[in-house]
Amino acid sequence: MTAVSIRNVSKVFNQGKPNQVDALSNVALEVKQGEFVSLIGPSGCGKSTLLRLVANLLEPTSGEVVVNGKSAAQARLDQDYGMAFQQAGLFDWRTVRKNIELPLELKGWDKSKRSARADEMLQLVQLPEFGDHYPWQLSGGMQQRIAIARALAAHPPLLLMDEPFGALDEMTREYMQGELLRICAATGTTVVFVTHSIPEAVYLSNRVVVMSPRPGRITKVVDVSLGGERSEDTRNRTAFFEAITAVREGLRGMHAAHVGLGNDDR
Amino acid sequence: MTNVVRRAAQRTVMFVAALALVAVVWETYKAVGPEDGGTVLGVRILPRTSEYAMPHVWDMFSRFSRPEVRGSERTVLDAVTAGAWYSFRLSVAGFALGALVGVALAVLMARFKVVQRGVLPYLVVSQTVPLIALAPLVVSWGGRVEIGAFVWPRWLSASVLGAFLAFFPIAVGTLRGLAAAPAASVELMQSYAASWTKTLFKLRFPTAVPYMVPAFRLGASASVIGVVVAEISTGLKGGIGRLIIEYAREATGDPAKVYTAIFGAAALGLVMAGAVVAVDVIVMRNRPKEAVS
Repeated sequence: MTAVSIRNVSKVFNQGKPNQVDALSNVALEVKQGEFVSLIGPSGCGKSTLLRLVANLLEPTSGEVVVNGKSAAQARLDQDYGMAFQQAGLFDWRTVRKNIELPLELKGWDKSKRSARADEMLQLVQLPEFGDHYPWQLSGGMQQRIAIARALAAHPPLLLMDEPFGALDEMTREYMQGELLRICAATGTTVVFVTHSIPEAVYLSNRVVVMSPRPGRITKVVDVSLGGERSEDTRNRTAFFEAITAVREGLRGMHAAHVGLGNDDR
Repeated sequence: MTNVVRRAAQRTVMFVAALALVAVVWETYKAVGPEDGGTVLGVRILPRTSEYAMPHVWDMFSRFSRPEVRGSERTVLDAVTAGAWYSFRLSVAGFALGALVGVALAVLMARFKVVQRGVLPYLVVSQTVPLIALAPLVVSWGGRVEIGAFVWPRWLSASVLGAFLAFFPIAVGTLRGLAAAPAASVELMQSYAASWTKTLFKLRFPTAVPYMVPAFRLGASASVIGVVVAEISTGLKGGIGRLIIEYAREATGDPAKVYTAIFGAAALGLVMAGAVVAVDVIVMRNRPKEAVS
């Protein structure tokens, strides 16, 4: 079963104006259910744009995005996905528990059901004692775990993440990667993950999609054959380094042509 | 919490010290300044220091405890308190009306960019209309405007003028606050397919609170000014504004008396602004301290 199907999608910003940008050109990608797919590429390659098309926060200029067998717009209305950003984006005025309950409130769940689910999510991200804290009382890594709990609170089959660990230090980042894999294994969630980091993409993913800018397109798809069970030892395995090399070559292939032209893709 | 208490104590001390400093400057000038004031080429540039022009600070305060008129049981303090209480109620009504209109306008302007472009310039223009010119017009509605069983009472005109001054800072501050929600949070609400109204109440209003509080504080003092000016310019009975004119008429015989009414008006403004600050402290108690702008 296909979780996300991106069919010949193009996205042009400011069409017909002097500042026209071809953010994506003829992109096609299929993500299977339960798969973990990373989008990697230099700034301006359209990976965040692609994620926003799947989330239906943007409409494609041409082509079609199908999520869970329905249009991206319908999938958004049905809350078929959860989303996490680089900034945890928790609401300062709500307790951690109330932050996790936000999507459930918007779905119109009653109080006891929300509360039970919040407890479950706090257990899942292993912060059960922090429910009544306020977000600003938590460290950056903890905030990001709460953001993941919020994204998964409604048990969506799909999780969309835009550089969620980009603002964390290296140690916290590797810890969070392990946590994310554990959570996804426990929930069977499909993940589309945008990152700048090659080791992060390889460690997490079943497949790494390498993208290039101007116009944004997919240049290479690297299958990562590390198996389902991954631990800290995975980072020392030969297959890990081979996959890193493969992704790096994919990036370098187009980097030669585009060096120094990068501007931010958001 | 101890920090909050210490800061509040510090502020109180500074406030009292500043008041004392003003009193000292007043008395010093009175002691050393020329009795007849200073004139340059026939234009008086320094005020006279005579008892009639500048009464002693202690005379102003002691005037509170003496009778309002000779032989009366009622002290000036009673009169000023009663007047301030009356004006306070009008100001609260004006503030509430101004807040209602201001927030409603801000929401409309945030929702529809067209409204913002069309209305905002007129809001600015509205604040350049001198209140003194407007006051008699609005006050003339008193007793004349009847909508069904509703007859426009005279006091309502003063409140409306208070609201007229109060709504502007509230509308502008709230609008700025509603627009301050981070793009990622707006996207998050979009990803939940949340309606504009739900986004307004769950995201935009909470984000706007730090912007709304200073705006409401300005609005609260503006409402007091509007009410007092309306009372003064129309002679509406019962309020502190009326006391200011009445006491000012007696200034030649009883120069300290008018200052008691002025102090009453100042205290009124402080109480209004203080009430907003108290609400702020309660609403913001669980927010990170550095997020407050």
